Amino acid sequence: MSDSPDNDGPDDHSPESESSDHHSQARATGQHAFGQTPPSPGAPPVVGLPPRKLFAERAQRLNKLGERVPAMAAYLQFMAMIVEAQHRVLQQPRPSLIGGAELAMTHGIPPLSVDGLWRDMSWPADLEALLDALDTRVEAPQRVWFDALRELPDADRAGLARAVLEGQPLALEQRAMAPLMGAALQVAWTRQARLLPATPPRPAGLGDNLCPCCGAPAVGSLIQIGMARSRVRYLQCGLCASEWYAERAKCVQCGDSRTLDYVSLEDEQGERVLPVQAETCDHCHSYLKRVNREWEADADPLADDLASLTLDMMIADRDLARRAFNPLLVLGEPA
Amino acid sequence: MSINVTRRQFFKLGGAGLASSSLAMMGFAPEPAEASIRQFKLTHAKETRNTCTYCSVGCGILIYSKGDGSKNVEQNVFHIEGDPDHPVSRGSLCPKGAGLLDFVHSKGRLEYPQVREAGSSEWTRITWDDALNRIARHMKDDRDANFVQRTAQGETVNHWTTTGFLAASGSSNESGYITHKVVRNLGMVAFDNQARV
Repeated sequence: MSDSPDNDGPDDHSPESESSDHHSQARATGQHAFGQTPPSPGAPPVVGLPPRKLFAERAQRLNKLGERVPAMAAYLQFMAMIVEAQHRVLQQPRPSLIGGAELAMTHGIPPLSVDGLWRDMSWPADLEALLDALDTRVEAPQRVWFDALRELPDADRAGLARAVLEGQPLALEQRAMAPLMGAALQVAWTRQARLLPATPPRPAGLGDNLCPCCGAPAVGSLIQIGMARSRVRYLQCGLCASEWYAERAKCVQCGDSRTLDYVSLEDEQGERVLPVQAETCDHCHSYLKRVNREWEADADPLADDLASLTLDMMIADRDLARRAFNPLLVLGEPA
Repeated sequence: MSINVTRRQFFKLGGAGLASSSLAMMGFAPEPAEASIRQFKLTHAKETRNTCTYCSVGCGILIYSKGDGSKNVEQNVFHIEGDPDHPVSRGSLCPKGAGLLDFVHSKGRLEYPQVREAGSSEWTRITWDDALNRIARHMKDDRDANFVQRTAQGETVNHWTTTGFLAASGSSNESGYITHKVVRNLGMVAFDNQARV
């Protein structure tokens, strides 16, 4: 019943099985002033939970991108190593935190809300496990900050976790440690999202740019492939990697469709470099990257974001806000 | 201690470059990546939502065009495909709709009104005002000559059978209603719609 390559989770998590889900409470019931509408046939699923091999496939993608972008090869290979470790740590069992999920959903609150759960999440244990998994593989240039993170007291770790979640600018000395903390946070939330008994609906009061599972912003958007989701655009959560429907050719932040410009990189021969476009909006002066799986079936919003930093630099003169929440990356002016 | 991810601030890259990024702070040289900018150039594309012009189903389409939208650069349509968000067609198009790109760029595409005078073999360009005036004149003359108020048996019919009307398909319910009112009010009986063609 599943047809997309990223969809190998249990059946009750597969997007195809939730085709009756709708964008909001009002649409879920089909009620409006003129009566009741029948469910729209062929409507794509609205929310998809993270697939089992998310991190394994992302690591593969990063390794592949490392070969294609020689200027960042060492960096992308190192990030692939972190993501591989994320895959292994994700398999470790941790206590379930989805007890209140159903109640939260009936009140239109994301069931894994960051604001409510960040203290209870298993990220301290996941960070420790990531550090253990990577210890023997980290080489000299990365040793300094790696060891500093190992020795960081719990209170400072909590401060760093909070700073990463809130997207604070971070001081220079925190910037090397932040991606590994981000990786631990992703593992903790992704594991809980995969435990959810059913995909949550789109909470009515939540912005289109925020995850229906955890309320965090998206890392980017992707054009999906497969029967049920062919060419439909989804946003992918930067934290728990859930995906949710977002209409194409429309700014996710402000809804504008007139001033959108899709900017991408071409090489000297005029060939596309990566399956990445920056969706820039002159109405709200911001941008979010979009990867197209029709161009490359294994394109990943987070991995391809890291590999396309050149694109960010080349449009920096337009003074647009970068809207992506990529916990594995810190950019911009330091605090 | 509460936390708020939903009201987070989004930063601008500005002139910061990669020197202070996590890439550099983690011990990777930012210079090769920054220098690689010179190998690339930026391309701009637009996606515009529209409705297929052909039939009354009204499938949604996405029109892809190149060009950065600046005043001196004409947008060049390079691809048209079904709109996957459209509630009626869900991204699918029939062979006619799938060929819309060739329709846009067709050499034989009619872009302005033309007339071939009686006895002439040449098409000449005329203005829209001219075209509408000439059509109205022809219609009025024909209607005045051939309008039937009553049949031979004295039954009122008020019909005009010597002129027919073919209406557009890709129009709204409202313009369909107005078209119908105008055409039937003139008494025209031969009336069809491009949607069936």
